[in-house]
Amino acid sequence: MTSIGTGYDLANSIFSPDGRNFQVEYAMKAVENGSTSIGIRCKDGIVLAAEKVITSKLLKQGANKRIATVDRHLGIVYSGMIPDGRHFVDRARDEARGWRDNYKTPISTKDLAGRMGGYMQAYTLYQSVRPFGITAIIGGYDSELDTPVEGEVGSGPSVGAGGKVEGKKHGGPFLYMVEPSGLYWGYYGAATGKGRQAAKAELEKLDLSSDGESSLTLEQAVKEAARIIYVAHDDNKDKEFELEMTWISGADGPTKGRHQEVPEALRKEAEKYAERMTAKDIEEEEETKEGGDKMEE
Amino acid sequence: MDHRPQAWGRPRDDVYGAYDHSYLQNSGPKQATQAPIVTGTSVIAMKYKDGVVMAADNLASYGSLARFPDVKRLRVFLDSSVVGFSGDVSDMQFLDRHLTDLSIDEAYEDPSCTAAPNGKGHLNAANLHKYLQKLLYKRRNDFDPLWNQLLIAGFDGHSKPYLASVDLRGTSFTSPSLATGFGSALAQPIMRRYAETEEDAAKLTREQAVEVIKECMKVLYYRDARSLDRYSIAVVTKDGVELKEDEQLEKQSWAFAERIKGYGTQTV
Amino acid sequence: MFRNNYDNDSVTFSPQGRIFQVEYAAEAVKQGSVVVGIASKTHAVLVAIKRNAEELSSYQKKLFPIDEHVGIAIAGLTSDARVLSNFMKQQSLGHRLTYGRNMPVRTLVDMIGSKAQINTQHYGKRPYGVGLLVAGVDDHGPHLFEFQPSGMTEEMVAFAIGARSQMARTYLEKNLEAFADCGREELIRHGLKALKESLVQDRELTIDNTSVAIVGVEKQEDGTTKPQPFMVYDGQDVSAWIESVADNQEAAPAAAEGEGMDVDS
Repeated sequence: MTSIGTGYDLANSIFSPDGRNFQVEYAMKAVENGSTSIGIRCKDGIVLAAEKVITSKLLKQGANKRIATVDRHLGIVYSGMIPDGRHFVDRARDEARGWRDNYKTPISTKDLAGRMGGYMQAYTLYQSVRPFGITAIIGGYDSELDTPVEGEVGSGPSVGAGGKVEGKKHGGPFLYMVEPSGLYWGYYGAATGKGRQAAKAELEKLDLSSDGESSLTLEQAVKEAARIIYVAHDDNKDKEFELEMTWISGADGPTKGRHQEVPEALRKEAEKYAERMTAKDIEEEEETKEGGDKMEE
Repeated sequence: MDHRPQAWGRPRDDVYGAYDHSYLQNSGPKQATQAPIVTGTSVIAMKYKDGVVMAADNLASYGSLARFPDVKRLRVFLDSSVVGFSGDVSDMQFLDRHLTDLSIDEAYEDPSCTAAPNGKGHLNAANLHKYLQKLLYKRRNDFDPLWNQLLIAGFDGHSKPYLASVDLRGTSFTSPSLATGFGSALAQPIMRRYAETEEDAAKLTREQAVEVIKECMKVLYYRDARSLDRYSIAVVTKDGVELKEDEQLEKQSWAFAERIKGYGTQTV
Repeated sequence: MFRNNYDNDSVTFSPQGRIFQVEYAAEAVKQGSVVVGIASKTHAVLVAIKRNAEELSSYQKKLFPIDEHVGIAIAGLTSDARVLSNFMKQQSLGHRLTYGRNMPVRTLVDMIGSKAQINTQHYGKRPYGVGLLVAGVDDHGPHLFEFQPSGMTEEMVAFAIGARSQMARTYLEKNLEAFADCGREELIRHGLKALKESLVQDRELTIDNTSVAIVGVEKQEDGTTKPQPFMVYDGQDVSAWIESVADNQEAAPAAAEGEGMDVDS
């Protein structure tokens, strides 16, 4: 469905006659060529996962991390041009630091997503810069606890801070995905990169939004994230890949509110599950291909 | 490049930062700290065989008023070092927030060891001390000091217990036992009886060191008029920091007061 | 690759989502002479072929120390390499003066990665036309990083960049398993052997055109480790190593010929 942007696609910030900024659309192509990354928001936390295609056997295993921490409770994973992704993460870290300095409290996921959306959008306004060649998935767990003001000394009057509404819940896990145009939405499940179509199809099958019994727990989400990356890797089938996964739980969960890499043991378990499930899928596919034929040995 | 005469010999702006002309302006309110307002009193610390023990009481005084009796003046950095603050409390808060930012940045570059105390690759107490010393010295040169004396305890690059002090002027030193404020006159002699040299300190057990520190806190409460009997005590070992923030002085004996002429109900 | 409308500056995406100026900058790296880097559990080594413009001119240095614990090998535009290496030296020294420790190598490399990325996103700037191999030691042991004009930085076990470096990379991939446990001398020999793969037919390693640098940690008898600062070796200092890899090349076929049919039965 891409039309040739002849003449209107050479410079950033230029509108084509049908109202498109072609440089931004070309930037999205760069994202589509990148390896897959996904994010899952479940009721008790966030899981971020990245398919790291191994471009050379000489790379040091496990040393090149794609998923970055921002502040302590936020994580960002991206697909597309990796150096642009790092620039994006640097800016996010600056935004988080600025917020903390100003408001003496950690930035909320929503506010960081807003800031980063604005930053990406700014790079679509001028001919002198080019849009970011990445789509970033921002996941965070805003603290539900009554965190004290940063650097607070003492514990204040026993009646507590004024203006608080009793019993109001705040905080929780949140997930956002920001595109090169600066557009972003909040998601329960987000995917970007080469295998995003397959990943999205799998994510839609998961039960993420309800609060009920069937809704995924954090450990289950980790396993599903691994499986979905394996499914999405099908689009990059001929290359080897490394799976990187991180998670964030609430204060009484396994990560105590911090963005951390999924522990080795759980990751291996998730990968075994993923391999088993994808192997089963292939078997099922082959059986249906053979149709009603009896097994011919 | 700017080749005009006014830029000859001038270091590059993009490398060294733009030149700061603010000293030329004499108008505007003077912002530099002139005197500490809300203050914390002594912090004491001593090394022992496997680490360092540090203690400070939980009082922030507003001059002679014992204003805030639950102020925690021992702060943990990266789960592996402890900084004890005496002096101005607002400057303590500033430094605490600054160190929080620093610890978040450190975790960025080496996330794999965030959970492990004394994680390899993280700033240890010696690095932290050097950094704070440079920071405080810079502020002193700007005539805008952070009005504190800090004790930094932890381990150095060779996994040996490390204890150092740095103050509002940027003066710094290390010793097997250290104290700030009144502690340097009242507590140091007691601590030095047990940890005069590094070798002596290396023979002390944890229980002995904690005993000595508690004894010193008692003496400080007897004699320092701006102190409190509730205090925080931290023990730093290779496995991390154990911080108790609500300790109460025990077994106080004010019997000596009776022997002092002119106090109490004594009549000459 | 041929000229097209989208390759004039680094702020233009092509319809396929590529930035040609960055890809062209990578070509500049391929024009430089080959450099090889390998990291083991205890050392990181860099070896390089130096070129001279004419018979009588000096050979262009390829290996540079940045600080006690880290150094670089360059391939591409030397003047761009100078800008980056000066920056690295300042950052590393500043870090040492502030914190009293070796700057973690990854942090340093990330800084030049960010610096280079900016040049790929703003009009009027051009990407750095140099690739670097950064070898250094920190609390986690020895590291080898590759830096590309796009700003991409990755940690490697071994790598080679520059002219005909693919041949060297093939050698490195074949011997990948052996590197981790190599000692100092063996690691250098592997580096030189990889380098030889990339030489033009009639060229060989000489003391004039070969450069070796090594940094690492040495285990002492009492179990502690002593850091070995980054040292560059040129001229006579490399002759022993050159001979050690030359001998092997000649000795192996000679031994085979000499022993004739005496093969393990």
